[in-house]
Amino acid sequence: MAQMMLQNAVEPMQVDAPPEDNDNNEEDNYVVENPTLDLEVYANNYIGLAKLYRLLYIIDHCPSLKLEALKTAISYAMTTYNVNLYQVLHQKLAEVTTSMNVPDVAAPSTSQDIPTIDNLWMETRSKRAALKLEKLDNDLKNYKSNSIKESIRRGHDDLGDHYLDCGDLSNALKCYSRARDYCTSGKHVVNMCLNVIKVSVYLQNWSHVLSYVSKAESTPDFSETQSKDSNQVILTKLKCAAGLAELATKKYKSAAKHFLQANLDHCDFPELLSPNNVAMYGGLCALATFDRHELQKNVIFSSSFKLFLELEPQLRDIIFKFYESKYASCLKLLDEIKDNLLLDMYIAPHVNTLYTQIRNRALIQYFSPYLSADMHKMALAFNRTVPALEDELMQLILEGQIQARIDSHNKILFAKDVDQRSTTFEKSLLMGKEYQRRTRMLILRAAVLKNKIHVKSPQRDAGQTGEITVVPF
Amino acid sequence: MASALEQFVNTVRTSSSHGNFRELCEYINKSSEILIKHSQHLDNVLETLDIQQHSLGILAVLCAKFSVQPAANSTDNRFTQAQDFILNCNGEQIRFAPDTFAELCHSLTNYLVEQKQPLKGIVLLQKAISKLRLYDSQLTSIHADLCKLCLLAKCFKPALELLNIDITGICQELTQNPNGPQFDSKYFLLYYYYGGMIYLAVRNLDRALYFFEVAITTPSLAVSHIMLEAFKKYILVSLLLHGKIQAIPKYASQVVTRFIKPLSQPYYELANAFTSNNTAELNAVLNKHSEIFNRDHNMGLVKQVSSVLYKKNIQRLTKTFLTLSLSDVASRVGLSSPVEAENHILQMIEKQQIFATINQKDGMVVFRDEPDKYSGPEVLKGLEEQLSLCMELDRQILAMDEEIQVNPQYVKKSSGLQDEEQPKSTYAM
Repeated sequence: MAQMMLQNAVEPMQVDAPPEDNDNNEEDNYVVENPTLDLEVYANNYIGLAKLYRLLYIIDHCPSLKLEALKTAISYAMTTYNVNLYQVLHQKLAEVTTSMNVPDVAAPSTSQDIPTIDNLWMETRSKRAALKLEKLDNDLKNYKSNSIKESIRRGHDDLGDHYLDCGDLSNALKCYSRARDYCTSGKHVVNMCLNVIKVSVYLQNWSHVLSYVSKAESTPDFSETQSKDSNQVILTKLKCAAGLAELATKKYKSAAKHFLQANLDHCDFPELLSPNNVAMYGGLCALATFDRHELQKNVIFSSSFKLFLELEPQLRDIIFKFYESKYASCLKLLDEIKDNLLLDMYIAPHVNTLYTQIRNRALIQYFSPYLSADMHKMALAFNRTVPALEDELMQLILEGQIQARIDSHNKILFAKDVDQRSTTFEKSLLMGKEYQRRTRMLILRAAVLKNKIHVKSPQRDAGQTGEITVVPF
Repeated sequence: MASALEQFVNTVRTSSSHGNFRELCEYINKSSEILIKHSQHLDNVLETLDIQQHSLGILAVLCAKFSVQPAANSTDNRFTQAQDFILNCNGEQIRFAPDTFAELCHSLTNYLVEQKQPLKGIVLLQKAISKLRLYDSQLTSIHADLCKLCLLAKCFKPALELLNIDITGICQELTQNPNGPQFDSKYFLLYYYYGGMIYLAVRNLDRALYFFEVAITTPSLAVSHIMLEAFKKYILVSLLLHGKIQAIPKYASQVVTRFIKPLSQPYYELANAFTSNNTAELNAVLNKHSEIFNRDHNMGLVKQVSSVLYKKNIQRLTKTFLTLSLSDVASRVGLSSPVEAENHILQMIEKQQIFATINQKDGMVVFRDEPDKYSGPEVLKGLEEQLSLCMELDRQILAMDEEIQVNPQYVKKSSGLQDEEQPKSTYAM
């Protein structure tokens, strides 16, 4: 067993980077130039793999913060058993330092505090990891021979924790799931679910996350005593995980709903999310998908989410500006926080979609009370040039989101009245035609089936290829 | 040697005079080898037989004649003989051997295609079809031959007469089939494939799409080249007509999605470029796969698709704009100059595809709503016509339903089920 672990340690293929990097490589190839992120504060929000993965994401996408992030990540990686990731980080560091030293020799001071790869540490670390694994494994075997359910469950959990610490996600998931058979109370079940959810999030297996969230929520003990304080913590964790999964699968509206149910006082989930994340994810999703009434009721007047918004004053301003129909400043603020959002591994792939949805919602809302609108004024309100606005409006009209037409000569947008009578005529004639076509096809098909017409038998294939050469033209 | 032929003639004569056509058919099928062996004497045999009385015999002799190449020195009188036969034969007799009769027509078609004289056969095949079929909406395999000749001769009217009748029944030609009488699926597919092409030639896209759809939804267990070609054309026509690929009906066999779709990848790329409304992208795909399109003989259609995209884009503009300058139209549609845009718009206005006016003074196009077209007695008449068509189809379906209701097999099966259920229910009581 120890040998196997050692092999794993030198095998960099095992777990090298968050799997999402392989999944959507094409979307991810962008570079963020000027983030206003305070890396230290940001990193302190998270612990464990969440911290490392988030730092890795920044390393891959932001050259200006790359070095600092690498240093933080390496020093943190040294507190874990994750030797593979440590190696990967050093590889990346080597790339940075070589590329930096060649053009920029004048800055030798920076290279001094760059950590060097510590082979001794790696060796002892892997050995210790293997020893610990062996011990935990032995313990578990003992528990099993004594068949004390509670101990076996704990043994599995401990083993899972250790695997997670080594960065071996699939084995961690296995161990956590095995604990399921030894759960004796609802609390244990919930705990098991939380562990599985955590690992599944790291693995980006979102359907797994959602199914375990619902499993945890339907556990009898948990649902009965929801009012208790500790349960609030768990509930918030579950809501956050569900929201994250919905966000990742692009179901923004339900993601928003989940995040809005989180509770700030009990939001303590550094393995996955910080309260700031909850505010940001929830706020943006809500802004992109809620209508005006929903926004007012569920976000602005929500006593619990208000506290979240206080954490992200910029976002709070954005939502309030949007609600007050001050779209220009709202959109400007949105652009300001865009860079930071692009460095967040979970929301970055969705930033552009969410932003366009928010813009479109704003455009629709702006025009809704008017019969005709001056596009110059509208462009001013949206921080856009008139032609760019025209393009956007054209898209919305074609998608049927705005019922209007553009007078490009005078730059005026006119609401369009639909002629109900002629559309009814059109629709019914079309329906009639469709019915005729279908019925004809039906009659013919009945005849075909009755006569057992079938394309089959390979020996006829030769005849058909021969036939095709006779096709005219 | 001659005695074998003499015996053939005698059997044909006696069986025909006694009206034993069914037995005669069996005998003729067995004797085709003898006839082919003695091919040089077949003209003599023909002279001894009467077209009206011994149609089946002559049919067999003619089939034998078409299956062997005539000797180089003798004159080729096969066409005139076949013509004479088809025009004057006894319809009742040949319906006993529909497969042989159809085979004669296929051979005749191939012969005319080889001779490059397709026009000569059109009237003949029309006659042949009317002799073989029992009612107007019955499909025979000769239908496919006629369509082929019409396509080659570029003379579509005779074929359209047939194509415009919706098929409701199929002639069971292969009477010798061990699994009961059948119809060769090849000719079914060919009829709908050629039919679709003919409708394309006369610019009836709606009907062409219908024909290709029939071809690609034919039940199948193997990939047919005809289906593959029909599928490619289905994609193109559906782009021309609807601007996107129509969903393939669910009852299409799995072969279509599993094998035919991957084989038509260039066409899918074209469709994707088309639905993105981007002319540059479409032209790129067109250039990239032009070899394939040329090889499939679909280049003409592909070019139509690309020219339709301009029109489609202009039509999209009418939905979003009230006024737009010509240069804006050109840049949005992807045309090179305002003049070109003006030409396109002019053509479309003339064809009533859009409703607009061009103001040449300031180069603006004013798009208008469609004038109120649903008023007046013509609309009412059109509606009534459509209604009666629908009702007619409905009646047809009802008739088919009734036919099934009184079908002995169906009655037996459904009542049998009840019988089984009944004792059960009494037992439960």
